[in-house]
Amino acid sequence: MAFLAAGPLRSQAPPSDVYDDFRNNCASCHTIGGGPLTGPDLKGLTERTDRAWLHRFLSDPKALIDAGDPRAAQLFQEFRGSYMPTLPGMTAERIDALIDLIEYESGLEKSAFAGMRLPERPLTEADVLRGQALFLGDQPLARGGPACLHCHSTVSVPGFGGGRLGPDLSTVYARMEGRKALGAWLMAPPSPVMAPVFQRHPLEEEEVLGLVAFLQEESRRAGVEPVQGREVDLLLAGSSLAALVLVAFDFLWRRRYRATRRPLLESTRR
Amino acid sequence: MHDFLFFAVLPYSSLAIFFLVTIQRYRQRTFTYTSLSSQFLENRWQFWASVPFHYGILGVLALHAAGLLLPRALLAWNNDLIRLYVLEVGSLGMALMALFGLVNIMLRRARNPRLRAVTTFGDWVIYVLLLIQFLTGIAVALFHGWGSSWFAVSLSPWLWSLFRLQPEVSFVAAMPLLVKAHIVNAFLLIAVFPFTRLVHILVVPNQYLWRKTQVVLWNLSRTRS
Repeated sequence: MAFLAAGPLRSQAPPSDVYDDFRNNCASCHTIGGGPLTGPDLKGLTERTDRAWLHRFLSDPKALIDAGDPRAAQLFQEFRGSYMPTLPGMTAERIDALIDLIEYESGLEKSAFAGMRLPERPLTEADVLRGQALFLGDQPLARGGPACLHCHSTVSVPGFGGGRLGPDLSTVYARMEGRKALGAWLMAPPSPVMAPVFQRHPLEEEEVLGLVAFLQEESRRAGVEPVQGREVDLLLAGSSLAALVLVAFDFLWRRRYRATRRPLLESTRR
Repeated sequence: MHDFLFFAVLPYSSLAIFFLVTIQRYRQRTFTYTSLSSQFLENRWQFWASVPFHYGILGVLALHAAGLLLPRALLAWNNDLIRLYVLEVGSLGMALMALFGLVNIMLRRARNPRLRAVTTFGDWVIYVLLLIQFLTGIAVALFHGWGSSWFAVSLSPWLWSLFRLQPEVSFVAAMPLLVKAHIVNAFLLIAVFPFTRLVHILVVPNQYLWRKTQVVLWNLSRTRS
């Protein structure tokens, strides 16, 4: 009885909604037995970490790292100084359910989250071109997601560059140390801005491969010519346009101070 | 928690105030639905204030409406780099023109004694809120582009979720602070709308945009206005 009261039976597979939760919110940065991606491999997590600490960490990872917790700080260093995002709507029950899933999957010979979900074929020049077309919006994403360019830029985007809502992706391939982590990330983008959008319009495997190939190429080009000052160019262009329109208004209504009284006076003289 | 307050509670509260007070004012004080033209008090400076302000803000609002009503079409348009730049530079130009007009409106009202006498506290509230709105909007356009695209992707679904009475705050929760400030200030503007001169927007027919210029005189007693 005491065993039953301690928690759910580990031999039972967790409910499918917990699998969905892990797939949508964790699997883009973590595997269970497939090696590290953006974050660590979670196989055997509960054997090396106690639940109380996991609860504190998962409730607000950034807060624990910033508070100087030695274990959190070590993870932060180990994984290229990137903060794990706080999942919206995280509760103690949800944390327990996710830990139970990790514990259950760790006990299996091969976890459902052990491997990369992308094909492992070599990337080609055609992938790079397709990725570029997808990034720039020349080729629409199959499931209706927005092109990367709307929120991100890279070194090779001409003119005013790409969007600046998200980070510049010129070096993202190198930052994430390659295809495996970047591909997993793109399969289910976990960032709080992208997640609500791409959960409804996920990328297809071939699209992810194309984008990975394009970003790999961009990573090679990055650093040659750093792109700066696009905000100033944009402000100058907008100001010039506004000034032109004001000049046009002045010309269009050039008789504005004479159009009413003078014609009235002239008509009385006639 | 703050996000729910700012992006679910505030919008509904603002819209409730907007509709209830607008209708109440129209039924009980119909003839206050005016912006009270100040043209006969001063008309040279007014041209560089009112005209750029109104054309600029109408252009910017039209783009916001397109993001809300035609998000797929807007994204399709923006999928071409040149078209995207034309739209973004065009809307930034209109926003800067509106800002130029608003600054002139505020200076004109502050520096001309005759105009100062007929400018109410409510007018100043509107001017300050509009100034905050323009500055945050322009900063968003410069530092967090391309808004015409991500508005259609992230903010349009959030706004439609409000209309469906199922607010999905997650779409805006992670937006940069400038974007959040722009949204919150927009709903404050909607909340104060029915108490101020902004009600003139609702008076139809609204042919100001294309009718010939004309001289406008007040026929209301100042004590009653």
